[in-house]
Order: sequence, then structure tokens, then C-alpha cells
Amino acid sequence: MEKKKTLIAPKIVAVVDIGSTAIRIVIAEIDEKGDWKRLDRATKPVPLGRDVFMSGHLTRETMLQAIRILSGFLEMLSGWHIGPRDVRVIATSAIREAKNRDTFVDRVFIRTGLRINIIEGVEENHLTYLAVQHAVHDMPGPFTRSSSLIIEVGGGTTEVMLLDRGNMVAAHSFRIGTVRIEQQVRPRWESNTQMEGYLRENLRGTLEIMNTELRLARVHYFVAVGGDARLAAARAGTKEAEHYWIIEKADFAGFLAQLAELSVDEIVTQLGVTYNEAEGLYPALVIYNLFLEATGARQLIVPDVSIREGMLVSFALGNTSDVRAELYGQVVTSAKSLGRKFHYDEKHAIHVAKLALAFFDQFQNDHGLEHHARLLMEVAAILHDIGNFVRSSGHHKHGQYIVANSEIFGLSREDIRIISNVVRYHRKSMPLASHPSFVSLRQEQRLIVLKLAAMLRVADGLDRSHQQRVQTFRLEVAEGDLLVDCTHQGDISVERYGMAVKALMFEEVFGYHVVIT
Amino acid sequence: MAEIIRTYKKHEGGRYFNRELSWIAFNERVLSESLRRDVPLLERLRFLCIVASNFDEFFMVRVASLKRQIRTGRRVHCPSGMSAEEQLREISLRVREIVKTKYECLLDDILPQLAEAGLVLKAPETYSQTQKKFLEELFQEEVFPVLTPVRCELGKPLPYTGNLRLHAAFLLRPLQGEDFLVPETGAEALAIVQIPAGIPRILYLPETRGTVSFALLEHVIRDHAAQLFPGYEITEDMFFRVTRDADLGVDEERDEDFVEAMEQVLESREHSMAIRMSINKSTGRLREMLTDALALNSSEVYMKTDPMDLSTFMELVDLPGFDHLRYEKWKPQDSPYLPEESSIWDALKKRDVLLHHPFESFAPVVRLVREAATDPSVLAIKMTLYRTSGSSPLVQALEVAAENGKQVTVLVELKARFDEEQNIEWAQRLERAGVIVVYGIVRLKVHAKAILIIRREEKGVTRYVHLGTGNYNDKTARVYTDLGFMTTQDELAYEIGLFFNSITGYSAIPALSKLVMAPTALKSRLLQMIDREAQRSTPENPGRIIAKINSLADPEVIEALYNASARGVQISLIIRGICMLVPGVPGMSENIAVTSVVGRYLEHSRIYFFHNGGAGEYYCGSADLMPRNLERRVELLFPIENPDLQKRIKSILETYLADNSQSHALRPDGVYVRRESESGEVSVGSQSVLYEAACNRASIAAPVNRKEFSVRRKPPQAKRLRR
Repeated sequence: MEKKKTLIAPKIVAVVDIGSTAIRIVIAEIDEKGDWKRLDRATKPVPLGRDVFMSGHLTRETMLQAIRILSGFLEMLSGWHIGPRDVRVIATSAIREAKNRDTFVDRVFIRTGLRINIIEGVEENHLTYLAVQHAVHDMPGPFTRSSSLIIEVGGGTTEVMLLDRGNMVAAHSFRIGTVRIEQQVRPRWESNTQMEGYLRENLRGTLEIMNTELRLARVHYFVAVGGDARLAAARAGTKEAEHYWIIEKADFAGFLAQLAELSVDEIVTQLGVTYNEAEGLYPALVIYNLFLEATGARQLIVPDVSIREGMLVSFALGNTSDVRAELYGQVVTSAKSLGRKFHYDEKHAIHVAKLALAFFDQFQNDHGLEHHARLLMEVAAILHDIGNFVRSSGHHKHGQYIVANSEIFGLSREDIRIISNVVRYHRKSMPLASHPSFVSLRQEQRLIVLKLAAMLRVADGLDRSHQQRVQTFRLEVAEGDLLVDCTHQGDISVERYGMAVKALMFEEVFGYHVVIT
Repeated sequence: MAEIIRTYKKHEGGRYFNRELSWIAFNERVLSESLRRDVPLLERLRFLCIVASNFDEFFMVRVASLKRQIRTGRRVHCPSGMSAEEQLREISLRVREIVKTKYECLLDDILPQLAEAGLVLKAPETYSQTQKKFLEELFQEEVFPVLTPVRCELGKPLPYTGNLRLHAAFLLRPLQGEDFLVPETGAEALAIVQIPAGIPRILYLPETRGTVSFALLEHVIRDHAAQLFPGYEITEDMFFRVTRDADLGVDEERDEDFVEAMEQVLESREHSMAIRMSINKSTGRLREMLTDALALNSSEVYMKTDPMDLSTFMELVDLPGFDHLRYEKWKPQDSPYLPEESSIWDALKKRDVLLHHPFESFAPVVRLVREAATDPSVLAIKMTLYRTSGSSPLVQALEVAAENGKQVTVLVELKARFDEEQNIEWAQRLERAGVIVVYGIVRLKVHAKAILIIRREEKGVTRYVHLGTGNYNDKTARVYTDLGFMTTQDELAYEIGLFFNSITGYSAIPALSKLVMAPTALKSRLLQMIDREAQRSTPENPGRIIAKINSLADPEVIEALYNASARGVQISLIIRGICMLVPGVPGMSENIAVTSVVGRYLEHSRIYFFHNGGAGEYYCGSADLMPRNLERRVELLFPIENPDLQKRIKSILETYLADNSQSHALRPDGVYVRRESESGEVSVGSQSVLYEAACNRASIAAPVNRKEFSVRRKPPQAKRLRR
């Protein structure tokens, strides 16, 4: 009998975003195809960033205020009949940096039942990227033909992504934001010109580094995300399509010059915005402008989306969708870009990654890891020799350090910590109780590190000569032996020889003796 | 006439009329309806009652505020340049004239004619024996037990005399030979008796020989007063009624116990400063004694003839059996687009609906909320309630909805003046039913009228919106002309959602692109639209603005209109009440015309039209053009974008502009002149034209799937069958 296709009513979901100046909620309807329609939203200002960037702590009053706001949002959720499974609560830099963040998260959970998910700067990038893509997908002359820069100036951080013909080459999260500027730096200058000079000085180095990742002068698409950019767009730009505005570079400069003359109070009355919105407006636009000037873009594209819509999109997507696959690709591109920055042996790195993934896939039943670990495997394989940039000797340790302190688009801090440990253990010593960066991982994370490192060692061993001689292989288990049946070009005796050492950890972790046949 | 001119043109070259005097002029226009011989008798009485109760409110609020300004020295600048003292003086003069006209009309014209028509107010000396006996019994059994005579000491403050409550005052002298009952021999005494509010003031009499005759409670009490003061002789009597300052602010800092704070305000209103005393006798000593005791001066004492307090005569206006003395009934018509027999949800998804009350029935609004209350797909209902009653079907439907598990959010404006008391009562009832009740916003009154219904349908969420110019009150919807707009437009509904989020405290005030909200954006947006009209106006293609509102009192808006007039924009204002703009002055406002419509229905809709270079823009909403609406209230203006509905609104405006039967034109000297049809011209009464239009719409677009036809014919007269 043919299955009758029943119409599933679109699902209503909510994303709550605890930012550094306000707590916001967006409620949307998502259909099976992953399309969404915004149904409702609310914003309430609360000075979380002011507390944290000044003193490192959230004050009691601010916490209470935040809980009151969230209680209001709970009422909204119940009006829309949204259950806890369909709500995501994310918190960004203010909460992330608060020394008493655990207390806050716990208090919120006890009082409201909402579980806060603190996300990392780079993860923020990933959500913003998803949202931007959704907003500008119908833009003429798509991203894939030119270079683009996506920037979001927030209260605590500024997120920047660089795309080369649609490929993510770098993603950064800088600890510079409007609230931080207001709190930490403002007392030091007297005029807006002085502030601009200060910011320009501060960003000079940053822009130079970025220029090595992507020639900024070649950037044509400059995408400015964030509330301040939207405010500017509504006044100095034109709405080009349903989800974005365009501001001409000259108009933007003009608007900025106009703002430079105004006090915050004057901005409130003249632009008809709230005090909360007016406060960070000028510094935010200055930051956008400094980046804009470094690029070759002639206009700003301002989408009407934010990290919240990114979260909605990620909500709407399963693991199999095209967008998810594309994202996965962007993570890998970003990792390769990091490798290039440290002059890695690209052929070897990519080849080892290919072998490692083949191993991961064929060995799936035995390692039992989830799909996300496969992405970590691939990134770790790409970056395993990155430490050679410092010195060949001990390059696994240098590599760990470099990776742990880098940003890779789409990966959270936790992911990066796992990957840096896999890089650390791709040769030499096994993890020991005296290795703090390993011990500080949670138990399930340590297991992932062990399994990935063990497989990576075998894959690396299969390209010991850096000549890419082993092309493909098949795994076969025979009485405690794992037989690796290789198709290869040329002599692979180096690989055979090397495997004896490389496979020791594998034997330890999985209990199989690895034999190349 | 010369007197009137002096009043309004006080300052030569003045740019504004005085607000209070303009308000009084509005009541003169209402009063002029009661002087019309072509208006049915009871309707004329109705207009008189309306004027009376309007003035009660005017004294409690506006006059009180002027008096307080003088007392405290905290003066408010009046754009017309008149000082508070000058205003009080002019008000007192004008009101005295109005009182005189009113009583002449009542005593010499309306009451005698009513008596001829069979509705008789009996003077005590004309009671028959039976009637006397009837009243005697009534007094002994029902009145006497509830009376509380209070003796006052001369020179001491008066005991409680309440606000707007009718009292009788008596001057007493101890009877000779019985002074053992009296402690201070020979002393004169003042006593006050409140006419009990719990007993009907109008007492219908028996033995009336085919007429309806009635006596007044206060007369009965006065005539039996001797029983109240044994041992005394009554040497003088007088009725009086005190009006007090009701413009008391509530302590806005109290939010969680705001209801309690409000109750305290209501309590104190009974004891606040006296503003006016109305009396029925100008001679004798009582007048002087009471004036002193209330700390009033003679200009604040108003002499009325018996009967006092006309506002309670409204009961007579609606007395059954006298239909021939009232307007022919206009049955509110059904909207053809919301047929009873099909789902209101489907109908609204098909098209936007505009309702023009009371020509068209208010029932669809009640139906919308009622059906939402029981509809399983409805998730939530949000609405604002400004002036409504606990017995309102809307309030009941909301209770049902909450009991059915819908999320119901209601913003109740407790500060709606003079309705506070009943608002508190039913708001608390709603709260008990599980409704989320928001008791207003600190320092702002929520005046916007909006309903949002969220319904989860197969294809996703659909939101049903109602936006109006009038309150959600099924009773006033029968007498106030208002527009209601129902739609499912996504963008508008989304913004209404944001509006509710902000007034419910979930969210900061949002930026809106379709709706215009006061106090944040409305004023600047209006000024900008007026300015845009001025900018675009050319001699070949002049700009055009039409606004129909209740009051225009905002100097900035007025200046913007003057400026637009100077740029050639043709401006027509249909303003029911206060208008501070001076029209038709060369060099200032020669392109502005102001008319005012006063008819059987109270004009209440607010409509704004801007020509906008041919791409006309239409807005409706809750806001008048007064500083309080634009700056101290939450108001909503909503666009009408559907071309068919725009056409309809245009024709409504044109109908009002063409009115030459119920309308007055404002002259540059401040005088309102009744517009009459000239010979050969058709007489256009806007309200009757609009009613006919509603009837036509209802009959033309009758739905096809009816179960029976509505046949137009006389009722069947066939003879009964013979066996």
C-alpha cells in the first residue's frame, strides 16, 4: 500500500541569545525544507557586557534582571506553545568571559528551566555565516566568484570571516567590541577623532595578518552583520531585497561623519533610537569602516540577520543537508588555510587526511565514533605536521601549541582542544597523567583523542615517505591482526618499516596488531 | 455674537485658539442640536444631558487644572497666550450663558412639550392625593431609613459632600418651648443630607391617566425634611452639588501594587479640592455659608434652576414606549464579507475587512474573539482594553479563552479616567481566570486598540488582527462612529506582535515600518508626512491633506499645517471637538478649512489622508492630534493599503466634507457657523448617507449560500382560516 503523504505543520522553534548589551529572542516557523519564517521577536537591554568587561563578574542585579527578562520570554514561549526541546539558548562573549558564568548558567536553569549553551567566538562565526548565506542567497553575482569579508561587530568581540571565491580561508574572533571599548578605553580619549585613531592603531596589525590570508584589496563583497550596521543601513542605505540592504561606501562615510559630531544624547533624539542602541553605535561603525577601507569593496551589504537566525538555520538542518555539507567543506578549507600560513607540506597533509578518513570510515564499527569526530579527524590530519614550521624536532608539541591557539572556522574551542591533542599524540609519547592539556579533557573527549590519534598514526605511517605511494587500502580483521591491503605505486618498504613503530598506539587502543600486506 | 468674537480673538494676530474655549464651543454645537425643532424631542433632551455630563468632566479635569495652576504657581504655558486667570474668567462667563440657554430650552421648550406628549415631571404642588400618599409611604419605608442628616458647625469645614453628589442643605432654628432637646439654646444650625444614590432619582407615580408622570427624589426628601430634624424649624433649604478636582495623578513609581495605588486615588477624589458648586437658589444665607465652607469664590458658584443634575435624566431619554419622540432606529448592518454561515477564519484569509461602526455592526469583532476563545487551533489572544465593562461579551470571551488553555494577554488601562473603579473589578476577575493582565504602562496611557489572534493552521501560523479607532466596547460601538480593520497580512500582524511584546514588557520598543506608534514615532512621522506634502506641492499639482479627528491641539502639528498651507497644500480638517488651529487667515492658513460634524452618533473615527504626489496614503488609528496623544500615550496608526478599502475611506471622507446638515464651519474669528444647504443644493447629512451606504453594501453583496431569502415586503396580513 502506498504511504499517504501527510502534511506536517511547520514546526515553531525559538532561539534566545544572551548578548553583551541585551537578551533577545526570535521565534520562527521552520518547514521540512529548512525554510523559516520569523514569527516574533523581542529584545530587552541588560548590561551584561558592562559588568563583565569591567570587573570580570556579573553583578547580582544584572543576573536578576536577566532572569526577569528570561521569565518574560518563557511567557512568550508558552503563548506559542513551544516546548523545551524547541528552544535553544545561546550566550556569547559576555557570559563566556564572566568568572561566575557557571553560577549564572545554573541560576538561570533553576529559575527558568532554560539551558544556556555558551558558544565560542568561532562557533559564533559559523552561525553568522549560516544566517548570512540564508539572507543573501538571492544576491546577484554570488560569493563564489569573488572574495568576500563577513564582519560582525558585537559588544564584546568582533567576528571576521574571509572567503576566497566562496571558500572560507580564515575566521577570527577579536576581543574588540563596542561595550569593551566603552568600558575599558573610552576614559582615555577625549574626542571621537582620538578614538578612531586609537582603533586604527589597534587594528593595524590585525589587518596586516589578514592580508596574508587573503589579499584584502581583492575583497569585493563586504558583508556587515549586527544591530549597529542595521541601524546605519536603515538610515543611509537602501533595501535591495527582502533580507538585506546596500550602503554605498560614500554614504556610509557621510553617515559616520555626521555621527562623529553628535553626542550619545543627540544620537538618541536625532535618530530616534534608544539610549542602549545609541551608545555603541559610533565605535561600531568606526570598526566596520576601518575594515571596509582595507578592502576593495565599494559598498556594504547589510543582511537583516544575526547569530539567532544562524541558530535557526542550524536548527532547521539535519546532518545530511547540502548546507551542512558545504559548512563541512568550509571548515576543511579554513584548516588548509591555517596550514598554508605555516608552510605545511600540503600534498602530504591532504594525502594523510584522505587515508585517515578512509581508515575512519572502514573502521567505523570498531571505533564507534560519531560523524562530528570524522571532521575532527580530517582537520587533525591536515594539521598534524604544522609544528614543523617551528622546528622539526618536537614538531608534535609545536603543532599542538599552534593549533590550540588558532581559530578554525566552524569549530568550537572544545573541538580545537581535541584536535590539538590529536596533533600532539600523532607521534612519540602516548598520553600520560603528567600531560595537563590531555588530563584536563573530559573522559569522553580523551577517548576521542586516543582513537583519532591511533588511527592518524597509522595513516601517517602509510605515507612515511611523503611520496603518496599508498593510494587506497582495504582493512580486514584476522585473528587479532588488522590487515591493511594496499594498492600502491613504487616501493613502500619505508612505510612497511615505519608501521611497526607507528602502530604501537593503535595496538594499545584497539587491541589489533597492524600488518601491511 | 460680539461677545463670542471677543472670547476667541483675544490676542490680535494670535496663532492659536484657546483650548478650553474651543472645547466649550464644541459643547455649544452639541447644545445647538437640542435647540433644533427638527430633532425629535427626547433626542433633544439627550443632547442636553450630554452637555451636562460633559461639563461635569470639564470642571473636574480642566478647570481643576487651571485652578491648581494658580494655587501652586506651577503654571502651564497656554499657546493662545491667555493666563490661567483669564481662562477661568472666560470659562465662567461662557458657562453661565450656556447654563442659561440650557435651562431655558429645558423648562420653556422641552419639558412642556414632553408633558404634552405624555411624559410629565410633576411639581410637588401638583401631586394628587394618591400620589402624595404613594410618596409618603415610599419616604417612610425606603428613603427615611437610609438618610443620614449631618449637622455642621458654622465656621468649621463641611463634612463629607462627595463629588458630583446631589445634597440638600437646611438652615434650622430650634422650636420654641422644646429647647430641652437642643444643647445650645437659640443657636442656628446648618444640616446637610445627601440624596441617596442607591434609590432611583426618578420616581414614577401612580394614577397618571394615560401619561407617564414622575417625581424627583430630592423633592420628596425636601418635603419630608421636617421629620429629620425634630425640635427644629427649617428656615431655609437649598439643593447643591459640588464638583471636585479629579485630575489626581497616581503614584507611578508603584508598579506591583499599582491597583492599590489606583484605589487610593479613587478614594481621595471624593475629598479633593472643590472646583464648582451648583445650587438651585440664589437668595438666602445657605448659599453664602456653603460657599465659604467649601472655600469657593462667587465665580465658582453656578445658579441652576430646578431640576439640578441633568445627567441623570438620560434615563428618561431611553424610556420605553416613546419611540415616536426619538430618531428612527438605524439597525447596524452586517458586513457582507463576514457571513455568519461561513468560517470567520476563511473569510478573513480571503480579504481584508473594513467595518464602519455603528452603521455596520460591531458583532464581527465580538465574534472574532468568541470564536477564538473556543477554537482548538488558536494558541493565543492578545488585546488592549481601554474603556469597557465587565459585562462586555469581549471580557467574557477572554475569560472563556483562558479557561480553555489559550494564552490570553490583556492590557487594561486602569488610568482611563472615570472608569477606573469598574476597570479594577473586572481586570481582577480576568486575572483569576488565568489571563495575563498588564495594568498599563508607567507614565503612559495605552490608548491603542488592537487584537492579535494567533492560530496554528495546517500550513503554518496565521495571525488575525483587528485594529480600530474606537474602544473595544460593544455599548459605545452603537453610538460612536469608528473604523475597524481586520486583516491577516503577515507584515502587519508581525508588527502588532512586536507592539504587544513591548507593552507586555517582553521587549524594548521596536522599530516598526508599517505601523506608526506613539509616543516614539508618531509625532515625528506625522510632521514628516505633512512636510513631505508641502515639499511636493506645486501650483499645477497642489498637495492635499484630509484629516478627520476629534481634537487638534498640538502647536507643532498646527505650525506644520500652516507651513503646508503656505506652500499651497489644500487642507481639509474634519474636527469634532477642540481645534486650536485658526483656519482661513490670509498669509497663514488660507488653504485650511475646518468643519465639525455633530450628529446622532458621536463622531470618533480618526482618518488621515495624504495625497503624496498621487500615491495617496491612508492611515487610521487611535490618535488625536493633541500633545497628550502624541507624547504621553501609546497610540497606533495603521496604514490602509488595499485599493478597494482606500476607495471606501476616500468616499467616507468626502461624505463628511460634503455635509451641509449636521456640520459647522469654523471661521477665522473662532465662530462656528452651521452649514446649510443653499437653494438648489441637496441636503447632505453625512451620517445618514453613511448609513444608507452600509445598507446598500449589505444588500448588494449578500452571500449566495443562504438558507432563506430576506424578503422585502410588509408582514403577511392574510385573514385567519375559517372552519
